[in-house]
Amino acid sequence: MARSHCKLAPVLIVVMNLGALTALAQSPMADSSNRSILNGAAVEYLYPEQVTVTAGESSAVAMHFRVGEGLHVNSHTPSQDYLIPTALSFPDSSGVRLESATYPDGQEFTLPVDPATKLSVYTGEFTIHVRIVAARGNHLVEAKLHYQACDKEACFPPKTITVPIDVIAK
Amino acid sequence: MKRNTIVLGITLFLLATFAWAGWANWEYRKQAAEKRAAMEAARAELIPAAGSGDLSYSVSPLLQKPAPQFKLPDVSGKKVSLDSYRGKALLINFWATWCAPCKIETPWLVELRNQYAPQGFEIIGISSEADDLKDDDKEGWAHDRAAIQEFVQKEHIDYPILMNGDSITKPYGGVDDLPTSFFLDRKGKVVAAQVGLTSKDDIESKIKKALASN
Repeated sequence: MARSHCKLAPVLIVVMNLGALTALAQSPMADSSNRSILNGAAVEYLYPEQVTVTAGESSAVAMHFRVGEGLHVNSHTPSQDYLIPTALSFPDSSGVRLESATYPDGQEFTLPVDPATKLSVYTGEFTIHVRIVAARGNHLVEAKLHYQACDKEACFPPKTITVPIDVIAK
Repeated sequence: MKRNTIVLGITLFLLATFAWAGWANWEYRKQAAEKRAAMEAARAELIPAAGSGDLSYSVSPLLQKPAPQFKLPDVSGKKVSLDSYRGKALLINFWATWCAPCKIETPWLVELRNQYAPQGFEIIGISSEADDLKDDDKEGWAHDRAAIQEFVQKEHIDYPILMNGDSITKPYGGVDDLPTSFFLDRKGKVVAAQVGLTSKDDIESKIKKALASN
């Protein structure tokens, strides 16, 4: 009897781990798009949280973001001059200089009531490829992403979110 | 025996973990559903139900109530009060220069204003740039004023445009979404509202409602 318990135990452990993992996968950590919208941020920073670069040299970093479901933000080069572009900046005092930022091309988007006006936007995930130069040391940089989001019917005030990234320069 | 106890202990621990994960997930979903329902309810107060073409009068905090008073500067700096429009059916349109849907509906508003002005209808555009300018930020205000004036010229807007709409959004329910419009009857009572871009026909039907209300 005891021996059969021992045989069953690994199976039980595997089953229960799978169950727990499934439940956790549906937890707030996994449901990030909804969380962003509920918290009032249309865009969230995904990764990397930490990068290691060579001190004093220009280094490439790909910074990944996600726009909340059902929303869009203007691309870095909006189709109309009155629209607010998405733009990334690094604070001057961070010890890390933003040498250049290469933004993705915007996707063409039209509002249902005005198909003639083509907008250039980001939806879903997008990546900004930056080149940074960091002084030797560990720098917790609070970069900023400025954007203005809309859905198909309405627009929301421009917003600036903090983009935390730990830059280790050796 | 000892091995069985360890296995039983691990099993119980995993069972507890599983139960906790299930509870946490249920609790999160419940809270998310409540938040979503609250957001939907807040928006439903101003957005007509799909296909109904009208608003639910019973749920909006502003509908059937006097519109909150305000006194704001126009682009020339002259202060304009809501009270001075008493006796006219009025559309209060919150908008911003960076708002694409606002730009789409503006020509409709210009046309409708010209069409219904002889019947005692007027529009007030209220710019809500949401740039959190301090009162003494002369450069910031000058920049806003220039952007608004450029928009007004390009769109041939011939109704009054007031600035610093952000200072009065709270009594109007927050106005986080643009465009947002309130339709007032001749006595200053809110008879209809609209959040986001709908259609010229929808706006016109609400203007008629404002004109017809007593």
